[in-house]
Amino acid sequence: MHIYEGFLPWQWCVLWYVLAIPVVVYGIIKIKKVTDEHPESKPILAVAGAFMFVLSSLKLPSVTGSCSHPTGNGLGAVLFGPAVVSVLCVIVLLFQALLLGHGGLTTLGANTFSMGIIGPLAAWLIYKGWQKGGWSILVGIFFAAFFADLLTYVTTAVQLSLAFPIPTFEEAMVKFMGIYAVTQLPLAAAEGILTVVIFDYIMKLRPDVLDKLGVLELAKKVGKIEEPKEAV
Amino acid sequence: MFSNTLDNYAHNNNLNGMNTYFKVLFGIVTMLVSLISTSPVVPLIIALFMSILIVFIAKVSWKFYLKFFLFPFSFGLITFIFMAIFFGVGAHILELGIFNLAVTADGFNLGLLVFARMMGGFTCLAFLALTTPMTELFSVLRLIKIPQIVLEIAMLMYRYIFVFLDEAINMYHTQETRLGYSSLKKSFKSMGMLGSNLFIRTWMKGEQAFIAMESRCYDGSIKTMKKQGSIKTMGTRNLVLLVLFEVVLIMGVYFTGSFRIF
Repeated sequence: MHIYEGFLPWQWCVLWYVLAIPVVVYGIIKIKKVTDEHPESKPILAVAGAFMFVLSSLKLPSVTGSCSHPTGNGLGAVLFGPAVVSVLCVIVLLFQALLLGHGGLTTLGANTFSMGIIGPLAAWLIYKGWQKGGWSILVGIFFAAFFADLLTYVTTAVQLSLAFPIPTFEEAMVKFMGIYAVTQLPLAAAEGILTVVIFDYIMKLRPDVLDKLGVLELAKKVGKIEEPKEAV
Repeated sequence: MFSNTLDNYAHNNNLNGMNTYFKVLFGIVTMLVSLISTSPVVPLIIALFMSILIVFIAKVSWKFYLKFFLFPFSFGLITFIFMAIFFGVGAHILELGIFNLAVTADGFNLGLLVFARMMGGFTCLAFLALTTPMTELFSVLRLIKIPQIVLEIAMLMYRYIFVFLDEAINMYHTQETRLGYSSLKKSFKSMGMLGSNLFIRTWMKGEQAFIAMESRCYDGSIKTMKKQGSIKTMGTRNLVLLVLFEVVLIMGVYFTGSFRIF
């Protein structure tokens, strides 16, 4: 869920911009390094961003009856790493604001912080940890996407409660979390399942792509999945 | 399912020929004035003014604008009601009679202010989105020194969004005609297939795009023609009108700063 234009007082807009910008700049430096070494990665990064945008415009079949859309940042973080996803996420959020009217320009910093930084970072850490443990790769993907979604909403709730600490921060937090727990917990689970299904298909159809991205390296070391068969 | 993007309107409206920098400056500055306002009066005036500008001057179909406006409006209204009931500690002005809930004066004022700011900000965003094509906004982004690499990725992304949206819609309709979304379990399976297939296709498209670019002498940077028009061609009259308009708004913010309904 995006924070809408004008929802946050201006002091908070500025603060979230200040917090988000260093991470995005780090991501840009990283992307620049990658694209300088491998020029072919530039169009691939661009289509990955477009994929995230299109994925986020798909409506998710949800349990509560309300409709929401996958954020795609869990999948993106597992595939490309959190730094790169933070930059792609800024561009996607900008396009969502200007092409669909979701989110906003003044709240871009806050939205980037929750969706482009905290969510992907959580997904990436969980996935890497899971791989180190050597457990089932698909379960790891589920938890990565699930917690990426969940932490995105928790961050949004924190941002809203900080902006409107009435009567106190804790009480506002309980109120916002109360709304999110009811509506977003099933959605996070739905996104987790969807990401697993997507990842499963990619693993079956084009394991070489994942191989190239280095997603499967660790998993192969622990011997949980078989080597992709050589195409003849 | 796939909401109509605003791109069509951005390319076909009455304000299309206007200086891009002027439109962006106007939209952003007005948005900021709406943001810093401490009373609901000025943001609501901005919302009304921008809506009139979009429907009557830019001649965007009012039916489309109404539909576009409805979602943030209903969301803002829910926020307003939520804040009025749960975010007050002051005197009760309306007892609801159930669960011991009541609308409080300070909750009502805060809710109204947030609602007004959302409407003010959203209409400014809508003005930008509906009157200025993305390709022209890129030239503004270049002016504020966004790194070249980000701009290049953004431009390629903009192009591929529409390619993939078409493919996704086709796949979705194909799945739907084969009853792919008839139950919850099937919809997850179909949606997963759609997503993964889309990812594989995007990957292939990306590789092909690189081959196509390389065969046309791609050396790591994409060169584009510079758009005509700059800040200097904005015109003194427009600039003076803009400054006057914003000064009036800021004065409005100053004088209505302590305005409260309750």
